[in-house]
Parts: sequence; C-alpha cells; structure tokens
Amino acid sequence: MTSNDTALMAHLLRRAGFGANRDELERYLGMGYDDAVETLLNPSDPANIPDDLIRRYHVEQSELRDLPGSAAYWMYRMISTTCPSEEKIALFWHGLFATGYTKLNQARALLDQVDMFRRSGLGSFEVLLLELSRDPAMMLWLDNNENHRDSMNENFGRELLELFSMGIGNYTEDDVKACARAFTGWTLGNAEYMAVRAFKDSIWPYGRIAWHFEYREDDHDDGEKTFLGETGNFNGEEIIAIIVKQESTARFLATRLFQFFGADEVTEAGEKVIDEMMATYFSSGYQIRDMLRTLFHSGFFKSDEARFARVKGPVEMVVGAIRMSGNYQTPFLGIENVSRTMLYMGQGLLQPPTVEGWHEGVEWIDSGALVERVNFAAKELSNVSSPGVRSIIERLAASSEDGVLAPSDLADGCLDLLGPIQVSEETRSILVDYASRHGDLDLNGHQPGDEAEQQVGNMLRLVAATKEYQLA
Amino acid sequence: MSTQTESPSIALDYVKTIGIVNNGFNGRGFANPYDIVVDGGGRIFVLNRCDPLRASAIRVGVCTLDEEYLNEFGRGNGAGDGQFVWPVAMAVDSQNRLHITDEYNHRVTLYSMSGDYLYHWGTAGSGNGELSGPAGIAIDASDNVFVVDQHNARVQKFSADGKFITTWGSFGQGDGQFNLPWGAAVDGEGNVYVADWRNDRIQKFTNDGEFLAVYGETGGGEGQFQRPTGVAVDSDGFIYVADWGNERVQVLGPDGSFRLILRGEATVSKWAEDYFASNPEEKAERDISNLIPTLPGHLNTPYHVSSQTEPYFWGPVSVSLDREGRLYVAETNRHRFQVYQKR
Repeated sequence: MTSNDTALMAHLLRRAGFGANRDELERYLGMGYDDAVETLLNPSDPANIPDDLIRRYHVEQSELRDLPGSAAYWMYRMISTTCPSEEKIALFWHGLFATGYTKLNQARALLDQVDMFRRSGLGSFEVLLLELSRDPAMMLWLDNNENHRDSMNENFGRELLELFSMGIGNYTEDDVKACARAFTGWTLGNAEYMAVRAFKDSIWPYGRIAWHFEYREDDHDDGEKTFLGETGNFNGEEIIAIIVKQESTARFLATRLFQFFGADEVTEAGEKVIDEMMATYFSSGYQIRDMLRTLFHSGFFKSDEARFARVKGPVEMVVGAIRMSGNYQTPFLGIENVSRTMLYMGQGLLQPPTVEGWHEGVEWIDSGALVERVNFAAKELSNVSSPGVRSIIERLAASSEDGVLAPSDLADGCLDLLGPIQVSEETRSILVDYASRHGDLDLNGHQPGDEAEQQVGNMLRLVAATKEYQLA
Repeated sequence: MSTQTESPSIALDYVKTIGIVNNGFNGRGFANPYDIVVDGGGRIFVLNRCDPLRASAIRVGVCTLDEEYLNEFGRGNGAGDGQFVWPVAMAVDSQNRLHITDEYNHRVTLYSMSGDYLYHWGTAGSGNGELSGPAGIAIDASDNVFVVDQHNARVQKFSADGKFITTWGSFGQGDGQFNLPWGAAVDGEGNVYVADWRNDRIQKFTNDGEFLAVYGETGGGEGQFQRPTGVAVDSDGFIYVADWGNERVQVLGPDGSFRLILRGEATVSKWAEDYFASNPEEKAERDISNLIPTLPGHLNTPYHVSSQTEPYFWGPVSVSLDREGRLYVAETNRHRFQVYQKR
C-alpha cells in the first residue's frame, strides 16, 4: 500500500463511517479498497456496548423517557460500534426523514425509528419508504393519525412526495390528495390516547408507553384514486411502488446520498456521478447499497476533488473525535453531556429543527459553533490518558529509530495518525513552528502524563484546532 | 382486580400497585426505584436511583401499603456525607439501620430509619475490605453484612460496622465464580444467595462462602434467566428472582426447581387515580385503549413488549419480602412497585 492508498482508505472511512484510528485503518487497508467497500456496505453482527450494560448503569437509557438520555444512548452506539457504516447511514436517514422529539415527546419511538434505519437503510428504497410510512413516530410527527377516511389530513402525503422522495415540482396538488387518501388508516396503536399524551407531554402515571404501527382498515379510503397518471384503488403500498419508479425520485435520492457521502457541493464531475447513481438505482431495483457502491468506486470519489470536500456535521465531528480518543467504551457518567455538546454545535440528536432536517455544509459553521467544535475536539484529543491518544504516543515513539522526533516529525506524525489529514503549507508551518519551540521531542522512557507526552497532547490539540480537521 | 398465580406448592395473589412517576425533586411518587425494604411496622422504604436530570434529589421515599406517602430523606447527589451517585440496594440490620450501597462511590452509607444520616464506610479498591462497584447487600440474623462487590467479582462479608470478615469469588463462569453479580439475600439458615447477573443464574453459598448450589441458565424459558438482578428468600425457602432481562419475576422452590412466573399486572394506584381525576380527558382516551396490545414482530422482545404494555413489569429490578408474606417488585422504568401476597 502506498500512502495514497492510506489516504484514500481514510477518506472512505470518514465518509462511510466516522473516521478511523490507525488500528482500524490498518485493518481495512489489509482488506484492500474493494473489500473494504463491501464490508462497509454490508454491516453485519455489529459489536458495541451491550444494551444490558448500558441499562444497568444508566436508568435513563433503560427507560428512555427524556431526550438527553435517549440521545446519549445513540451516542454510545455510534462511539462503540464495530460497524460504523450502519450508524452513519442511520444518521443520514435521521437527517433526511427528520423526525423530532419536539411534538412527539417520545424518544423511544425515535430510537425505534433509528433501529429501522439500521435495518433497512441500505436496502431497497421502496421497502424503506414503506417502513417509514409504518413508523409510528413519523405517523404522529406528520399527523397521519389525523388522516381519516372521512377527514383527510394531507401532511404526511405531501411531505412523502416533497421532502422524502420526488421533490417539489414533480407532482400536482391532486397527486398529493390521492397520496394522502391512500394512507388513511395508517396510524399507531391506541392513537387517540397516545396523541393526547404526546400533546400534553404526559408521563403519568407510569412513564411513557412506547408506540407501534396499526392499520385500521375501517378508517381507510379504499376508493379509486389517480396518482401520477395511474388509476386504481390504491393503498399506501401501491402509491410507494409508483413513487419509486419516478426519475425525480432517483435524482432526489442520488443527490442527497452524494451530498452526504460524496461532497457538499455538486460540481460538474459530481453531476456525472449522480447520473451513474441514478442508473444504478433503476438497474438494481432501487437498492441504496448499490448506489453507494457506485459512488465509492467512482473516479470522482477517489479523486483529490472529493477529499475534505465536506464540512463534518457536529455528530460526525464529536463521534469521530471520541472514537479516535477511545473514550466512552464502557458505560460512564457524563455521556449525556457529550450529546448536549452536539446540540450547542447545532445538531441535537433526535431533535432536528424541522421536518426538513439540518442545513448542512458550511452552514454548520458559525462563530459560536466553531468555538464549540474546536474546544471539544482539542480537549478530547489532547488528553494523554485517553487510550486512543496513548496509542498515538506509542506509535510516534516507535516511528523513530532513536525515539527522538524532530519538530517536523512530530507535526507530520500527528497529522498522519489523526487522519491522515491534508493541511495547507501555511498550516503545517505553524504546527512545525510550534513544535520547534520545544526542540526535538525525546520519547525515550516516556511515562504517562509526563512532559514529553504532554508535548504530543499539545500538538494533537493544535491539529484538532485546524480548519482542515473540521472537514471530512 | 385481584388475580392468582400458583404452582402446586406456592400461590401468589396480586394485591395492588403503588406509585406514580415523580419527575420533580421531592414529594409523592418515585424516580427510577431500585430497591425496597419494609420495616417491622409496615413502612415501605423505596430507594430512588434517579436519572441524571433528577440526580440532585436522589432519596429514599417512605410510604405505607395503604398508599400514604410519609416522608423522604437523603442528601442528594455527590460524594459528600449521606450523598449518592449510583445507589443500588438496601438492607436493614437488627438496630434498624438502613445500609445503602453506592456502586459509583464504592461505599456503603448508613441512615437511621427515621432518615438521619449516620456514616459511611468503604474505599475503592480490590484488596480485602475494599470495594469496586458494591451492588446487592444482605444482612443476616447476626448482623453480618454481605456486600456483592461486582467489579471484583466477589462477595465480601463484613461485621455490622463494616469490619472485613471474609470474601469469596472470582471472575468466571464456574461454581463460585461471578460475572458482574448484583443482588443478594440471606435465608433463615444464614445461607447467602447471589444474583450472578451476567452469568444468568443464582448461586447459593453457606454463611462463610462455601458453594452449595447454582440455579438457572441463560434463556427465556421456565427456570431460565436473563440478567437476574434481585433475589429474596422467604421463611419456607422459596426463592424469588427479579428476572430483569426477561421482564418478569420467577419463583423457585427451596431446591431451586421452577415454580411460577409473574409477568406483572399493574393497576391504577391511588396516586394515579388522583392524577386521572384531574385529567379526565386523558382518562377517557385511556379507558377506550388496549393497554395489552399485539405488537409487530420486530418488537417482540421482553423489553419492547414491556415498554408498550403498561400493566407488565418493566425493569423489575428487585424483589423484597415483608413479614406478612407479601412480595414487592420494584420497577425502575415504571416508577412503581407491584405487591403480591403469598397464600
């Protein structure tokens, strides 16, 4: 493997996962790029902090009554999973099919939805839309529990077309009505009681009661409908079968996948990849996994143009930093503070601002959010007692035959082991200048927390504060 | 409503449910109850573990079987005198002192039954007498204190004032070994029972730690366990187990043979009735709801079923007995306990 192979694999792991520490990166390098892509696209049997351990120590993550504990529960999963791509695709769908705690007051239902994204997020888009339409959190979020045979509510039907598939301009108001009629009777169990409890944020008498899907045939409008030029006594399944056939749906999905996994901005080269992903969409029978395979094998994705072409979302940034530091691998007091930190950065898990999700790309960065991001990453990665940082120190020590690193070796070594991260010459010279203040770094006989190790921690802190670290 | 559950040799009648969620910092109701002790006068002491949002109000609440909320005590969250971070279990000695374990502070704190802080003992470590994540606690008729030292995978025996006497156990799956053990109980003969949590079994020892028997194995069938958290033994030797991962309680005979399963059948407590009296619209919708629904296949696990089925146990973390043959099952996730009467 050349260093370019290493950089490409790190790039893939930043996009399909949350970045990788060097041990993880080397495991994937051992597979080769093609097998690595397949491993990431076919997550199986993930290992993560077991639920029983989480529930034993964190009662709030057993009950999942409130938002902070529920977000922290997902954080544990993202931090500790051996299948980061499974969590990354769930995060993608969480942003696209944005469903929020506000209004629902039911975090358990949101985490069940995330589970559904794990289960179906890489398979058929048709199946995914069907699962979404049967998801009780989505039903209440977009008022489909109020969508009755004799009293239609268009909200879910409209957003299914506008925000979740075809996009505005590709259907008529009559199509919206037909779509909504087809989903009458799709609701959640004990819908009326659950709606009252959600509205009042009632936890009484005995805490939350979780939700499940229910189809009420007697409340379904089984009449004839004309939808996108086709006529029949459509139910929801037939409507979705028609939606997924549309080119606009393919373009919508390919574009959103590209912008999350490929690059924030769609350039001319990016447009060609999107076209290829659309072709894959149809040839594969709407398989999301196949579309991502097309993306990850594209010349664009492997080119310099795609590297560091995305601003890390707050969740990506925080999870990536913690996975690198190696912290929170067992239940630990304070995990809820980490999920709260992401909220301050502009992305509260399970609480997207609207049904449109978060505005991504450069919009993640404002002055307040940037300070939070830099402070968090710098603190997380400069703690020399963290297992991941200790591993970096050991690798740096082993990288020099005599255990002594010149200032440029220290700067380049830290950039390499945190990524590799590509930085501008200006940024690199600042890092080297900083290291030069202390002269060569002698790591011979280093002890936990001693001055030599602190110098490494300080360099990692500086790298975490660079503009380039904020990019994926 | 009163139902009966029985086997050829033991019968338990459901009596009532006591509790309501308390999302504040004091007053009637419970916040993630973790253990229960009933004193000779029938006062019910409930240890509120409390989630992080309410940790400043970690406390013991006291009520009666008639659902009168009497008082509460505690000094909140922290490492100071009388404070807790992750309290787990309680036991009472012959001097009516309440011993409360704290698996985060690695110590045992004593309160009087009237709520006065007395003192705490225990330091973190793995040497004799040191603790790492003390969980279950039981006290025998001679006031020997047995502490389940979870992260050290052992049981330690102390005198009533915390002086080390002996210890047994190591990490593993063999007889006398443990994997993150939790609850403990002592029977009338002084034998010690331990809920060997991550080995999905109950182990029985003599008062000095000699291995006697092991009951159960991993699973969801009769006599099988999924992360048992609590254990209690009545005067006839019947063994009650909080089968936490299976969201149920099991009762074993004195020889460890399976006798019966309780799934929970909670009803509306007096405090819950008060709530619904003030919220009639919510009550009206509740009355026409099916609180024991049939669920889609992907939700067909004990945890999901209990999260959706309010009458069932959800997070049944401890089993406690009183002198009248009543069983109290504390449910962490439902902020209540269900009471059964042995016939």
